[in-house]
Amino acid sequence: MSLKKYRKKSPWILHYNCGSCNGCDIEILAALAPKYDLERFGILNNGNPKQSDIFLVTGPLTYRSRERLVELYTQMPEPKVVVAVGSCTCTGGVFNDMYNVENGIDKYIPVDVYIPGCAASPELIIDGVVKGLEILEQKTKEIEKPKKLLGELDESKASIDRTKFAGNIDDRKN
Amino acid sequence: MATKKTINIPLGSQHISLLEPIRFNFSTQNEKIVDVDWDVGFVHRGIEKACTTNFEFKQVGYVVARVCGLCAITHSLSYTIGVEKLLDHEVNKKIKYLRLLMLELDRIHSHMLCLAHVSENAGFEGMFMKIMADRELVMDIQEAISGNRVQFDYVSIGGVNRDLDLETEKLLKKNISLLEEKIDDLIDKFTNNWSLSLKYKNIGHLSKEDAYNMNALGPMARACGAKIDVRLETSDFPYDEVGYELVLEQGGDIHSRNMVRLREIKNSIKMVRNIVDGVPEGEIMEKVKGKPKGETFMRIEAPRGEIFYYLNATGKNMLQRVRIKTPTFSQIPAMVNVFKGANYADAHAILASFDPCMSCTAK
Ligand code: SF4
Repeated sequence: MSLKKYRKKSPWILHYNCGSCNGCDIEILAALAPKYDLERFGILNNGNPKQSDIFLVTGPLTYRSRERLVELYTQMPEPKVVVAVGSCTCTGGVFNDMYNVENGIDKYIPVDVYIPGCAASPELIIDGVVKGLEILEQKTKEIEKPKKLLGELDESKASIDRTKFAGNIDDRKN
Repeated sequence: MATKKTINIPLGSQHISLLEPIRFNFSTQNEKIVDVDWDVGFVHRGIEKACTTNFEFKQVGYVVARVCGLCAITHSLSYTIGVEKLLDHEVNKKIKYLRLLMLELDRIHSHMLCLAHVSENAGFEGMFMKIMADRELVMDIQEAISGNRVQFDYVSIGGVNRDLDLETEKLLKKNISLLEEKIDDLIDKFTNNWSLSLKYKNIGHLSKEDAYNMNALGPMARACGAKIDVRLETSDFPYDEVGYELVLEQGGDIHSRNMVRLREIKNSIKMVRNIVDGVPEGEIMEKVKGKPKGETFMRIEAPRGEIFYYLNATGKNMLQRVRIKTPTFSQIPAMVNVFKGANYADAHAILASFDPCMSCTAK
């Protein structure tokens, strides 16, 4: 099996708390535990960003954790999906406008799925992660599409069609 | 002899065994931890300030619940009772009983989460899954009573938001009996299972004198025989009517802390039963008039130890000062003391057995 299939069958998650009240974190734990059993999708809670595909973030992003958040995000390999768990991760929630808080993580990293709720219930977390899996698949396909860097090869002429260069102005327009 | 080399090992701020961002710096010599330095400020949000500038006193009860998701009810209850004291209002007995019910249910699920976490960090993942599955019994009760699993905003100034109906009562009794069997089973496992007892006995030891000297609180203090419990000392709740008992162990190690938690869960189950059987008739919400003026304090025993609230108000809509002191903050000296001399390999299990709560500490 190729890596593509592994990624589809067993996406690993990385969980980071950037200032939450623990409410959503314990719901993530509960979602992984037997009653809700997120692990049936092949998901494993993993501490290493370099092996993870889905980034579960909780908390309204405090000043001191934003550097860690961006660092973790950049360490994850492409394709990756970011899931914001809980209202305070989406918009700041009840912590909105407190002096040490950045009002949601999407100022710093792109978010693919927003999960509402204070605390987000395990059912919602499962829905969000499954949605994330779809997006992950799309992104994988997107990445594997061949890129036209040097334009197309015209075999009959056995030369490169230079009108379709990536730098061509007409090409950029459409 | 060659001089011993000190090696610094950082742990955190993001780590698989830590739910919350916290950074440790262990100085180790040959596997032994000689010193530990920690940084808990990653989750500081500024709640205390916001309580006096962004929110009115009627809203603050729901905001302080967001200090910590695990002992949310303790926070909102401390605040609410503090304000009720300032307004010179004492709620009726039914409300007290219902508040106490949620407080004890909260203690049960918090302790179970801690036990699960300890097992996981000691390398017993199956046990983690089992305890988390059993914990759902309590979560179901909480959801039935209050409408949410965690962060149930159950308490308001002057009363509680929902009544206990017959169906919920039935569910509660059924789940509590199921849970009691499971807890008996867990007590048996935590004492007799070869791998659990071998891993936990005599590790992370804190002596009784150190517990007193360094201000250990909650289960951590009670595990070394220190009689420290707010429930004994205050009379805001009818604890003696519902069958509260002080739980003490003498060992002071991880094993004793686990046992204290397990036995407290049993005691809480007993209390919950008594409360449900003895809820008196009455209103669940009383009218409270006026605006708070003056200063007061409030103490409640959270699952991790004493929570202390200080309120200062001047008769306006906004409070002047809200000061929150949480158990983990007071325990830090005792925790540092336990780490010194332990093996680095045990650091995670010891850490989980304190049940530290960074969201509370940094606020
Ligand atoms: S959304 Fe609510 S429960 Fe979740 S971390 Fe934020 S404040 Fe806590």
